[in-house]
Amino acid sequence: MALTSSEIDEMVSLERGEVDRRIYSDPEIFELEMERIFARAWLFLCHESQIPEPGDFFQAVMGRDNVLVVRQRDGTVRAMLNTCAHRGNAVCRAEEGNARSFLCTYHGWSYGIDGKLNGVPGFNIFYNGELDKKRRGLPRIAQVASYKGFIFGTHDPTAPPLEEFLGPTGRLGLDLIALRGDMEVVPGIQKFVIECNWKIAVDNLFDWYHPQITHASAFEPDVMPTAGQRRDGGKIDMTGVNMQNGANLELAGGGIIGSKFETVVVLGEYGHAIGGPSTSSSGYFDLVPQWRETSRAKEGLGPVGIKVAGHPNIFPTAWATSGVPQISLRIPRDPGHTEIWWFTLVDRNLPRETRDFTIMMANRIFGPAGLLEQDDGENWAQATAQTRGVASRRVRHLLNMGVGRGRIIKEGGLSRIEGYTNEHAQLWTYHSWAQWMKGLDWNDLKKATTPGDCI
Amino acid sequence: MNEQQAISGERAAASREERIEAMLRHYEVERFYYDEAALLDAHRYEEWLGLFADDARYFMPIRRTRTQRELDREFTRPGEMAFFDDTKQLLTGRIIKLRTGRAWAEDPPSRTRHLITNIRVLKDDGRTLEVESNFHVYRTRLNSEETSWIGSRRDVLRRVGGSFQIADRKIFLEQTVLLSRNLSNFF
Repeated sequence: MALTSSEIDEMVSLERGEVDRRIYSDPEIFELEMERIFARAWLFLCHESQIPEPGDFFQAVMGRDNVLVVRQRDGTVRAMLNTCAHRGNAVCRAEEGNARSFLCTYHGWSYGIDGKLNGVPGFNIFYNGELDKKRRGLPRIAQVASYKGFIFGTHDPTAPPLEEFLGPTGRLGLDLIALRGDMEVVPGIQKFVIECNWKIAVDNLFDWYHPQITHASAFEPDVMPTAGQRRDGGKIDMTGVNMQNGANLELAGGGIIGSKFETVVVLGEYGHAIGGPSTSSSGYFDLVPQWRETSRAKEGLGPVGIKVAGHPNIFPTAWATSGVPQISLRIPRDPGHTEIWWFTLVDRNLPRETRDFTIMMANRIFGPAGLLEQDDGENWAQATAQTRGVASRRVRHLLNMGVGRGRIIKEGGLSRIEGYTNEHAQLWTYHSWAQWMKGLDWNDLKKATTPGDCI
Repeated sequence: MNEQQAISGERAAASREERIEAMLRHYEVERFYYDEAALLDAHRYEEWLGLFADDARYFMPIRRTRTQRELDREFTRPGEMAFFDDTKQLLTGRIIKLRTGRAWAEDPPSRTRHLITNIRVLKDDGRTLEVESNFHVYRTRLNSEETSWIGSRRDVLRRVGGSFQIADRKIFLEQTVLLSRNLSNFF
């Protein structure tokens, strides 16, 4: 497909805050996303704690490539395509586990946990010993790196190093989890499918305009486990008002749309962003907030980062949540289907009670049965469906809340905007999406996704 | 000797009276489950909740595709991540949520049919029973959405009055990646 740069520019207007709905359902655009975003960006694969022992593996997804992330005998991590070099069959069907080797069940080629081709049935008789086994290992992922336990991979050998790709914004997003302690992933990755375009699921993670409506039922009295379940005696209070005292949708003086809801939006290079409340906001909540008082957190996050309590996204699809520390991936399957994967992390040194509480809340807030998330999919599926009609798709998606009014403050390597609820982080994500879709080289991509003075 | 063999062995050795007792027990359990399913399908959630003991745990683990050798780690366990890990208090909260008129995943409500089969009483100590059953929960939603969930439940039932209370329910779904957008219904 030959989408020109100017055609791509027409799809996303940073000035007007408008997006062409075709980007949510056009199969050719989806194919181009696979090439220009998912075959280039660093993508989250898994956390080091999921594969502690040699031979431990986790099956991740990069674009539509199935990837085996495997702990090696020397303690390093390798990632390789889960496809036999002979005729393509998957060499591993389990989602996770421990392997001594990977066997292709088609013709019996076997690979070591390092991906090297070890055994070929009939090597001497059928191949006359002439097959070059060294060249026929499992294809390695071009680059694999770990940032504070979070393992990423990219298919692009020319991509900048992971830390540089993450930049201050992406690193802050992961630090907001990593600096809570010695983090490990709790067994059990929730995985489910929503009939929506992946970008609708991504832009929602920054959206602090929707909870009061989408999740209204979850904020009714006695729905969310609150009093008596928070060990520090506080209430879980996402709306910034005490819902048990009969708050309603007109949250005039507080809550998510109220004047007390102070947000801090951070925009970063390559499309990373953070959106949501600051710690000074009445809408701020951390389930176990004491970690922010540690010197580790204060020094690691810096004076700006320590105040960030919203939702970071590592472009394109890794959401690092802040309430309960979790990573949520929005994995594109086709233009109209997205898999959601939830990884939940806890500090290994948490007291048993706090650990159990954290896990319990993770199970109850997000995930397919989560009191919040069960209502999200409904909106995203319907929003995606309405981009298919010829007339409906001519209507542009609006992300213009506060557009042109977001004054960008540059401090400590971060570009931030302070104020009330807005759609700057979503718009920044779409703007960056357009730059990626142009197929710019890495230098030009960085320039095109470096925030200016205003959004 | 596994549970199934134990039960079959018991059955072979049982007297006619014992077998009639077992049939009556089976009949009671079966009726209990059919009534429960009818409450769910009629959206009579408050009455359904009344079938649970106050200390009940309602747990649906996450299942993972694993090799034969590692099947003992197929399901997550309590204390790990799950799809449901509810107390009665949380089940109550879910029902309050459904009644708000603003629980969009269930408004308009989905249509469900719970088919409960293959009931087997695995243990009975006189006060509590351990019962396994299979389910097919069929859901349609709006005009074209269709979901089928098939799996098994393992319950601890307490004898209370002339009937039972659900003291513990574990729900094992025959899916790893959940093939639906949410779990806004009960099992």
